[in-house]
Amino acid sequence: MIPTLGRTLILLALLAASGGALVGFATGARPTRAGWLWTRRLAYAFAGFMVLANLVMEYALLTHDFSVSYVAHVGSRSVPTWVSLVSLWSSLEGSILFWGLVMGAYVVVATWQNRDKHPEYMPYAVGVWLLCGAFFSFLLAGPAQPFATVASPPMDGPGPNALLQNHYLMVIHPPFLYSGYVGMTIPFGLACAALLVGRLGPDFIRPLRNFLLLPWIFLTVAIVLGGWWAYEVLGWGGYWAWDPVENASFLPWLTATAALHSALLVERKGVLKAWTVTLVIGTYLLTILGTFMTRSGVFNSVHSFTQSAIGPTILVFLAAALIFAVVLLTLRVDMLAPEGRLETGPSRDVLFLVQNLLFVLFTFTVLLGTVFPLVVEAARGVQMSVGRPYFDRMSVPIGVCLLFVMGVGPALPWGRATGQQLRSALLPPLVGAAALAILGLALGVRNAWTMLALFFGGFTAYVTISELLLPVRQRMRSHGEGFLEAFGQARRRGQRRFGAYIAHAGALIAIVAVAVSSTMGSSKEVQLRQGESTALGAYSVTFVDAERVSEPHRESTLARVDVSKNGRPVGSLYPRMNQYESQREPIGTPAVRTSLTEDLYLSIHNIDPHSRTVGLLVMVNPMVGWIWIATAIIALGGLVALMPPWRGARVTVTERAPVGAASPEGSS
Amino acid sequence: MATAPTSEAAPPRPSRLNPWVLGAGLAVVVPLLAVLVMNLGRDPHSIRSPLVGRPAPAFSLAPVGGGAPVSLDSLRGRPAVINFWATWCVPCFEEHAALAAAARTFDDVQFLGVVYEDEEPRTQEFLAQRGSSYPALMDPEGRTAIAFGVFGVPETFFIDARGQIVDKYVGPLNRGTIAALIARAKGGSP
Amino acid sequence: MSRLALALLALAAVPAVAAAPTTAAPAIEAPRSRPLSGPELDARTNDIGGLLRCPVCQGLSVADSSSSMARNMKAEVREKLAAGYDQEQILAQFERSYGEFVRLEPPMRGVNWLVWFGPIAVLVGGAGVVVWAVKRSSRGSEATGSTSSDLPSRDTLPSDRRLAAAVRRVRELAYGWPGGIPPTAGTGTS
Repeated sequence: MIPTLGRTLILLALLAASGGALVGFATGARPTRAGWLWTRRLAYAFAGFMVLANLVMEYALLTHDFSVSYVAHVGSRSVPTWVSLVSLWSSLEGSILFWGLVMGAYVVVATWQNRDKHPEYMPYAVGVWLLCGAFFSFLLAGPAQPFATVASPPMDGPGPNALLQNHYLMVIHPPFLYSGYVGMTIPFGLACAALLVGRLGPDFIRPLRNFLLLPWIFLTVAIVLGGWWAYEVLGWGGYWAWDPVENASFLPWLTATAALHSALLVERKGVLKAWTVTLVIGTYLLTILGTFMTRSGVFNSVHSFTQSAIGPTILVFLAAALIFAVVLLTLRVDMLAPEGRLETGPSRDVLFLVQNLLFVLFTFTVLLGTVFPLVVEAARGVQMSVGRPYFDRMSVPIGVCLLFVMGVGPALPWGRATGQQLRSALLPPLVGAAALAILGLALGVRNAWTMLALFFGGFTAYVTISELLLPVRQRMRSHGEGFLEAFGQARRRGQRRFGAYIAHAGALIAIVAVAVSSTMGSSKEVQLRQGESTALGAYSVTFVDAERVSEPHRESTLARVDVSKNGRPVGSLYPRMNQYESQREPIGTPAVRTSLTEDLYLSIHNIDPHSRTVGLLVMVNPMVGWIWIATAIIALGGLVALMPPWRGARVTVTERAPVGAASPEGSS
Repeated sequence: MATAPTSEAAPPRPSRLNPWVLGAGLAVVVPLLAVLVMNLGRDPHSIRSPLVGRPAPAFSLAPVGGGAPVSLDSLRGRPAVINFWATWCVPCFEEHAALAAAARTFDDVQFLGVVYEDEEPRTQEFLAQRGSSYPALMDPEGRTAIAFGVFGVPETFFIDARGQIVDKYVGPLNRGTIAALIARAKGGSP
Repeated sequence: MSRLALALLALAAVPAVAAAPTTAAPAIEAPRSRPLSGPELDARTNDIGGLLRCPVCQGLSVADSSSSMARNMKAEVREKLAAGYDQEQILAQFERSYGEFVRLEPPMRGVNWLVWFGPIAVLVGGAGVVVWAVKRSSRGSEATGSTSSDLPSRDTLPSDRRLAAAVRRVRELAYGWPGGIPPTAGTGTS
């Protein structure tokens, strides 16, 4: 019963999406009230069917209904309830179903919010969204059916992948990732609508920017959550390995960030319209490429799916989307004429372009490195790797340059700057630069790139704080307000600007923290007998004993390790080795003691409770905690920047005619 | 709100074909799609061995249970089959019988087993239970496995009389495959 | 033996390994650098471990992986460094067993130059595009130029009609433009 219900819902979603797309495009070409109404209704219907299908699947998972094929793949009676709940997105078909859910939610919000605005754009936009929705419904109805009926349902299932049961972070990482990834469909539709209509006015750049910002916030958090998960769960002590799947999530983030910035120029000066639209479209295409990379089994990655019909199907959609984008851009890009002009010479305009160039370069480099093994296999017939050393080597200079631009850009004025203006803008922040650099030197930093990152970081920090407080200082001067009142007023009147600078602050902390943690850490691998200690940095760790813990889905061996810092005991850590039934090799869970300055990281390589020895990896990783804090700051900045437009502008215009002036035109 | 005139007063320009965008778009899209399509169907996890067609790496390993070490040189003049296996490897059980039988059948071919990441007592017990018709060698630090480019077990190398690796087979073997690959190892090399 | 003779022997051994499959087991090449020990040995082992791909892991380097294969490979790297082999020799030795796959950083050969020089080409090309775009933009449209403040440019109007009317009224009063429309209309007032 459930499989049939699920399949029906998906078919209905497919019908609603296909129909809605057709009606949407027809309404866009020939606008009618009825057409727009039906486009909206079909969009809501698509979303509704997707939500229901997901609820049905959750019901099946929670009741262990093994007649549903997806439940038979990943369900299990012996896992905790939260694991069953979370299994919805833990594996291939279920995650596509979840994709549909998130897309439905976004489509509803975006359609409803703009139901009586931008009438010449919206039908096209909804049409594009539903076209994408139709594709994913097709995937669910055909190659990636989660609701296929299992002829003879087994008594129990294998449960989701062991690695995914190891940590609570897996609960929130996929929802955040999908909210970011899938959310990029919305600005894609809006950008295509702008191209189809042949205009990108200042009123339309607003929703485009907002619906780019919202998924961007989710994606930023999701990427870092993925890194945090790798750090806390995988046990090798790092947080980013440039695996193809990690790169798949990072690539659209890079172009989306570039687009957010160039959208600012569109809004202010009416320039770079075509470029911004291209970036937004590129972001969406990268999400489709990313989903192909993750699911096709073509890339050598952590996500190793067996090859099925899903890969080629996504590839066909990707090809169609790429061709659609190229054709649309070729025919319509010249219609998006600029209304202003860019400043030559040293100015913020030029630095915006430099920053965009850096992001595009970063995107190209990561994409090239990820795809390159496939290129070489096709060209030379040789299997080779492009791994972490390559990506690290390439991304460090780009990251440092971005940090530099993030400092110099906001320091410069918008128009062409005079020499005097340049000096007064660029010299004071050098104080911050020098301060942070000297601090680094004092704390032992010797790596050249890290020093450069600290120097630019200090510069950027000074600029960011001073730009953040600039309107506050202006208000204090002109209105005589106190600091707090001026702060509140300035924030309320310039919320987007505030949010942007908060996000910049977070980004610079993140870059500096990454630089420091990559080069200033230390590690050692030791074999410790019971009672033996070893020291690393200020820490001394002692292996006290090993303990076995039995849980329904795994057998774990915990090692109790007592930690003391600078001679004082500070507690115990419990790294563990988990043996899951389905895996030969046990999977370790590291234990991390985080403090503001550094992390003490313990990971078990091997443990033998009988001989009472443990092979331990001990690492001291400085400033890693700051990466997570910085990400929260970036997200906060994004939220602050997002908030005002939702409330909309409320203006009362009094009809009192001023003395001696002609009556205003077009007053409603 | 009816379709009120928006604040953009200028009429849209006519649609034109921008050759630069077309060129740039095709320059990105065509190679990308070509690379992805060409790689569909390839398994990125099965790595081809560079040792096929090259001399087998030298080794000198002690047999399970002690005794004089067996070296690669001692195999010169006869074709050889070197099978990497372990007691914890389920597919290795499956092929054990086939290999043992083949070793008896093809007595002009030297069969060797190299134990990969395992312990001697466990191996001895396994062999005592299952029997064996050819020597099993211990590779205590995995050096020989590394030299042969072993990714996992079971992996089997077919070597010709001159010491060249003719084939590398990944996965459990059956009698038919063993026979075919031995024929290749005997029947002349590139 | 003199260093020169040793070097010549090493040099002779390399082509012997590469080009002549009919010889016996490959000649052992001589170490090219000095033997390492102590903390320098640890550091270099870690460095080179970071450049080798663990064959049984997902993309992890030998330095980062805790699998037994990785530990064996790390031990072998350590031995080779202590014997005086240099980085390229060690990487090449692993490459002989596992193929180019095992190197995490693409060596410069064949089409691999593309992955190293591609980004540089894009940087240079992109910088050219930026310069061209800025020049074209400042030469192009005669819209009412850029302001040096954070305000929107003087010819944009909000989409809300009453607000637009109010803005036009303000402009009329402030700048003296009739109807609030700026005199140089340019490519469309919006």
